[in-house]
Amino acid sequence: MKECVFAGFGGQGVLTVGLLISQMATYKDYHATWIPQYGSAMRGGTANCTVKFGEGYIYNPSQDEPDILLAMNNPSLVKFLPLVKPGGTIVVNSDLVDSEINTRKDINLVEIPCLTLAKEMDHPRGANVIMAGAIVKLSGDFTEREAIDGMNDMFRKKGKEKYKELNTKALSIGYNYI
Amino acid sequence: MADMMKGNVAIAEAAIRAGARLYAGYPITPSTEIMEYMSWRMAEVDGVFVQAESEIAGINMIIGGAACGVRAITASSGPGISLKQEGMTTLSDEELPAVVVNMVRYGNGIGTLYSAQCDYHRETRGGGNGDYRCIVLCPSSVQEATELMVLAFDLAEKYRMVSVFMSEGALGQMMEPCELPEMRELPRYPWGFDGKYTNKKVGIFDRNSRDEAVLLNEKYNAVKENEQRWESIDVEDADYVLVAYGLPGRASIGAAKELRAEGYKVGMIRVITAWPFPEKAFQEVNPNVKGFITIEANATGQLIDDVALTALRTIDKKVQCYCRPHVYGIPSVKAIKQDFIDVVNGNMKEVY
Repeated sequence: MKECVFAGFGGQGVLTVGLLISQMATYKDYHATWIPQYGSAMRGGTANCTVKFGEGYIYNPSQDEPDILLAMNNPSLVKFLPLVKPGGTIVVNSDLVDSEINTRKDINLVEIPCLTLAKEMDHPRGANVIMAGAIVKLSGDFTEREAIDGMNDMFRKKGKEKYKELNTKALSIGYNYI
Repeated sequence: MADMMKGNVAIAEAAIRAGARLYAGYPITPSTEIMEYMSWRMAEVDGVFVQAESEIAGINMIIGGAACGVRAITASSGPGISLKQEGMTTLSDEELPAVVVNMVRYGNGIGTLYSAQCDYHRETRGGGNGDYRCIVLCPSSVQEATELMVLAFDLAEKYRMVSVFMSEGALGQMMEPCELPEMRELPRYPWGFDGKYTNKKVGIFDRNSRDEAVLLNEKYNAVKENEQRWESIDVEDADYVLVAYGLPGRASIGAAKELRAEGYKVGMIRVITAWPFPEKAFQEVNPNVKGFITIEANATGQLIDDVALTALRTIDKKVQCYCRPHVYGIPSVKAIKQDFIDVVNGNMKEVY
């Protein structure tokens, strides 16, 4: 079983990245759970969700000890740094996150300038999908094909098929950045 | 392969598929998505959706719908359900079926937004006046929630009583793969008002409460006998049995399995019907069991009372009953294992 935490500002698409990964897992017939940190405010502030997936049943869907953390902003890295499992991986949005915040030697820090990469491919809203691609590769649980098929299946069902090409490209950029 | 679905959305869609054609209620976190979904979905199935001016108005509309023979549902959370108690005792008095969903949040008074199990006593005993009972169903996953929603309506109709769907804030907010139940089209209950005074009129002074009491007890005894539901593992030879429900129940199964693999004789009972309490699950427990341990998401420990009473009735000797209330949230598998170790090492005092 793998546990991932996705964290950032509201609007950076972290809840969607979490959902993408969980839907890819389901697409592969894994068990999966997605659970947000929820509150009374809808917009602004920080947002995060926890995704667990694997071949076995998931007994506790809530946040515990993530194998992978996605930190899209500085407050997320500060908040979740102590939680990450020893030997775990932290993926940071290096366009915004100051990697000096990391004080841990027992984790693998991966810096990805996802905002720059998204701008370069002319899909500024695709930064989160680029990060999803990177996390898929780092997790080692999905091939690039499985990830793309799982993602497109989800967006198709949500009626957002028109971004298929852009999202596929964004996911590949993230996947191949690692 | 099933798609990821949010708990509250799955609960609402399952209710529609179980034949619900009236929703009336007032929004409150963490149950609001049920109402939001119903606001457009009810229209698609020619049902009625009302955003009432208050929880009290909402439950009274449910009384009206049920009296007219329509499958009716309302949803809220802790303090909102407090407001519905008068309506729920009225439904019970009139023997009208309905489903009341409580996506429990933590706290007394207005409470907080944390996911919790602090309403156990209120839901299992009934918070209104009188001595009525409600069937109380407690899911531990999104999939199970959809199945129990169908059951909630079927049992409410079969016994003509209120089914309380007692879940937790976190289950409403989380997503899991989920297969929805089949769509059912149901006729109105034959005994409902039809606008033609077809059925016999019973005035309030025509009622005989002593005769009704006999029938009421017969009904509740039938429910106790026939409708207990639970999931249990490894209780036959267990030295200790964990007892929990909902999401902490799910995590406790994981803890019991890991403890078993580490050589401890641990069993687990996950309560699915908090009322009728699954006494039959305890009849299968090792008669030489040393203790029951409840794992709860509240401050004071509530499930422990039912566990201790049931242990007294089902096990010949006095068994120690322990409780670890985690206040709110879902305790981790690791934390539950530690609770067990605390009991074994004498670091937790028994409650009963």
